[in-house]
Amino acid sequence: MLKKIVEHSQIKSPWLVHYDCGSCNGCDIETLACLTPLYDVERFGVLNIGNPKHADVLIVTGTVNKRNKKVLKQIYDQMPSPKIVIAIGACGLSGGIFREAYNVVGGVDKVIPVDVYVPGCPAKPEAIIDGVVEGLAKLSEIQKAGKPKKEAIAS
Amino acid sequence: MTLVYALLGVVLAPFAGILVAGFDRILTAKFQSRTGPPLLQPLYDIAKLWAKEPMIAHRFQPLCVYIYLAAAMVSVALFFAQSDLLLIFFVQAVGAIFLVIGAFLVPSPFSQAGANRELIQILTYEPLIIIVLAGIYLTTGSFNISAIYAMDKPLLINLPLLFIVFGYALTIKLRKSPFDISASHHAHQELVRGVLTEYSGRMLALIELAHLYETILILGLCSLFWTTSIWGMVVLLALTYLIEIVVDNISARMSFRWMLKSVWTTGLALSAINLIWLYSGGRF
Amino acid sequence: MFEILYTSLTLCPIVAALACLILPGKSTRSALVGMTGIILIASSVMLIWNGPVSSTPAFLSSAKFTTFIQIADFALLGLILYFGIKFNNRIISVLSLVQIAVLAAFELFILDGHGAPAGLFCDNLSLIMVLLISIAGSLIVFYALPYMDYHEHHLKLTKTRQPRFFALLLLFIGAMNALVLTNDLLLFYFFFEITTLCSFLLIGHDGNKVSRENSVTALWINSIGGTALLLGTVMIYLQLHTLDIQAVIGKLQGSDAMLIPLGLLCVAGFTKAAQMPFQKWLLGAMVAPTPTSALLHSATMVKAGVYLVIRFAPAFQGTALSTAVAVCGAFTFLSAAALAIGQRNGKKVLAYSTISNLGLILACAGINTHAAITAAILLVIFHAVSKALLFLCMGSIEQHIGSRDIEDMRGLFGEMPKTAMIITMGILTMILPPFGMLLGKWMAIESAAGNLFTLLMLALGSALTVVYWARWAGILMGSDYKGESRPEHLPDMARYPLLTLLGSAIVLSISAPFIYSKMILADFTGTAAYATTNGVMANASGSFAVIPLFMIAIGVFLFALAKSGPGKKGAKIAGPYMSGISGEENGTYVGPMNKITGSVQSNYYLSAFFGEKRLSGVVNATACALILIMIGVSI
Ligand code: SF4
Repeated sequence: MLKKIVEHSQIKSPWLVHYDCGSCNGCDIETLACLTPLYDVERFGVLNIGNPKHADVLIVTGTVNKRNKKVLKQIYDQMPSPKIVIAIGACGLSGGIFREAYNVVGGVDKVIPVDVYVPGCPAKPEAIIDGVVEGLAKLSEIQKAGKPKKEAIAS
Repeated sequence: MTLVYALLGVVLAPFAGILVAGFDRILTAKFQSRTGPPLLQPLYDIAKLWAKEPMIAHRFQPLCVYIYLAAAMVSVALFFAQSDLLLIFFVQAVGAIFLVIGAFLVPSPFSQAGANRELIQILTYEPLIIIVLAGIYLTTGSFNISAIYAMDKPLLINLPLLFIVFGYALTIKLRKSPFDISASHHAHQELVRGVLTEYSGRMLALIELAHLYETILILGLCSLFWTTSIWGMVVLLALTYLIEIVVDNISARMSFRWMLKSVWTTGLALSAINLIWLYSGGRF
Repeated sequence: MFEILYTSLTLCPIVAALACLILPGKSTRSALVGMTGIILIASSVMLIWNGPVSSTPAFLSSAKFTTFIQIADFALLGLILYFGIKFNNRIISVLSLVQIAVLAAFELFILDGHGAPAGLFCDNLSLIMVLLISIAGSLIVFYALPYMDYHEHHLKLTKTRQPRFFALLLLFIGAMNALVLTNDLLLFYFFFEITTLCSFLLIGHDGNKVSRENSVTALWINSIGGTALLLGTVMIYLQLHTLDIQAVIGKLQGSDAMLIPLGLLCVAGFTKAAQMPFQKWLLGAMVAPTPTSALLHSATMVKAGVYLVIRFAPAFQGTALSTAVAVCGAFTFLSAAALAIGQRNGKKVLAYSTISNLGLILACAGINTHAAITAAILLVIFHAVSKALLFLCMGSIEQHIGSRDIEDMRGLFGEMPKTAMIITMGILTMILPPFGMLLGKWMAIESAAGNLFTLLMLALGSALTVVYWARWAGILMGSDYKGESRPEHLPDMARYPLLTLLGSAIVLSISAPFIYSKMILADFTGTAAYATTNGVMANASGSFAVIPLFMIAIGVFLFALAKSGPGKKGAKIAGPYMSGISGEENGTYVGPMNKITGSVQSNYYLSAFFGEKRLSGVVNATACALILIMIGVSI
């Protein structure tokens, strides 16, 4: 019974931390738009908590470059598991239009494991909400399988 | 019998607290023309946090958190055992102090700033609550809760101004705007979560649980102002809480200096007026 | 039996003090001091066993003794006059001349038929005081043995000045014991002046400019108290023709007739207890070596002032003077607590906290009900123990880290795990229930509820107190070493006194109901203020479940401690959140150009609200006004 409650709770209360890896701000604006009354993600228990130590979901927008990849990795490491990562926008997926720049590493998954990819330039709020819901399904899967989360890939 | 009441209080308080907090979030959402989370959202949050990977930032953090929770539970137990009000308040203060000490343990600027602000919050509400309790004593002749229930007139009639003073303390203790100065509910950038920043997972779950106990305790104290009829009590509580939510929604977060100055001046002035009135025998 | 114990409690330390001066060699001195301490502890415990008595030993009533005291009195005042002239301080000179003149006139022309002194009086209040003075005092003296070696090593003294130091400490303890056991006002005055002189010499012990100035300050402020006490004594004798303290109290019993002399006695008590506006001398006293501060602040000196007021409290019960004392005390409680918030010097915080707590005790004495006096006595006990502990810890810390700044004690647990633990526990005994200090504060607030001004000030002061203590306790236990700490070497002579004091703070707190029912209650007549059943102290206006709360507290503490052991398996230790890339060491982050940058953290000291500059003027002015009102209502 208690176990059931806990399992149920884990997908009912995703707390987000949002990290901007250097996007053009298009994706950030769309992400924050989800929190407005129009989309009201609190319906799903989502809170923008702003502190990796309290968060379950890491939302990353923008391209990862050589400077901020350490920050990204540290934020990821400071989150207690179970946790999921959602990469948002073309930039977060692959580097987007900045891919060829000299300082760019590429997509988020070059640094930390990504669970859900939300494409778009910028991604639409509906798509982002969809991504979070998708991520929750994945979270409960992880929970059921009981397997530990992969460690970070690159240092 | 008192022991049974006390235990019952300790067991039931978290559930009541979850319902109160859930209503709070739904109502807040409605005020902002949103739908808001399910009623049991606070329960989901706590259960989820409990199941997270254990992670601490200092070896004595769990010590502080467990003492915080225990103090909150004991104070609720004492409340339902109709014990001494001043004692209840002091026991509750143990928890508040240990929460602060736990935040001081970690050299993170956010938790340090939060801890200091939390101390200022304690500094702001503590004298007010002591004065309110003394006002109750002057009306009933005892600090024991049982003496209040023996009254045939609600306390509110004798202590209207002290009830407003108590409202200030209530707002600070519930961490509502304009006084959510130390733990910033919405994770403002300069503070992150302040005093709560460095607690995570299971520790945070315990803190949330303790906060539920504190909410119930403080609402319980509020209910003492109308003990003669159950409906009067319910209406008083509902109205007070509604006002709290409205104030929370319409006001911005203020600075701790403003809090200390404005709350002490208004609070002390109001208390002095009410107390002088009591001393001069204006009871009826 | 009582006579023997009296001798070993008073004469023995005084003789040992003389021997300290004469006998050469460090080991002889250590042995002598150690032996005296043990004798003091043993005799005070036996005195408790012996129970309350009042008697007049033969030697006290002999004419020789009386003459000796008379001569010693004048010699003492002459010495003070000498220091006044030497340090060119007019106030001291004038006040000591006034005292000499008044005393001479009194002894030559007024005093007649008095003859023998009124002997000794030892009720439970005196017993408690003797126990505190002897035990806390001895522990402090033990602690001073290794401390002074280090201190002199640090000052690079070529010739040791320890004989003088230990002689003064022992003399001080002996005089205090005699002070609380005497029943004769003139003898009381004599010992009162000895403690003034001892504290003056101890504060100036290091002999540098600052300590000399501060010792002179202590002397002139305390001379005011001495003069007030002497004048009060003379006036009492003029009207009642007795110097027997118990007889005086018995005759007055709250009558309005003789408030002026009692008001003067209260002023004497206030100066000794460093109440506002006389606080300056105690703040200056912290330049002395730490054992001196510990002794002045915990069991001796300031407690002499408090004892004087508590002793005479029944004499002014229910009068306007009593209310004035309560308001003055409560004002000191509030203002000293506010001033403590603005301080980051650890010793100064301790000093302000002493002043503040003494204010609380005096406020209780002024409220003057059975419950309030009980609160005052309990506060005296618990404050003495906890404050001695805190000062001694502070001494160890200062010697180790070379600073008194609270901010420098950030993460002390990493450097000095044992001391950090002990001082944190000590701080917690000052502010948390179910410890004794809070029990006392609870009683104080419940008794003050009938008195508007006192109540408001106690409520505010109590909140301020929590802030300055909690802020300090918080940063001590944090550490920069990820929860690890270096092993700490604490010499035995330092460790055992610390542990004993901490242990007694806890054990005494647990046994508070018994202390009340077995000791304090016996001094009162009429119905008990508190019923103590099952370790719960209760009366009609409230209840404090001391022992049940202690049982819960100990259980919770052990459980919580087990949950936070160093090697707690599973729990991941995560560095602090620095909003960016944290550096290797805790509290640092990777800044611009990949440089490791430290973060600077500091507590709020709110000097805009609570700074000394901001408050001192207002506080002193208000306090002077209150003291004048106190004397005014007596007339
Ligand atoms: S994906 Fe498009 S909108 Fe989003 S950050 Fe990149 S460029 Fe901007």
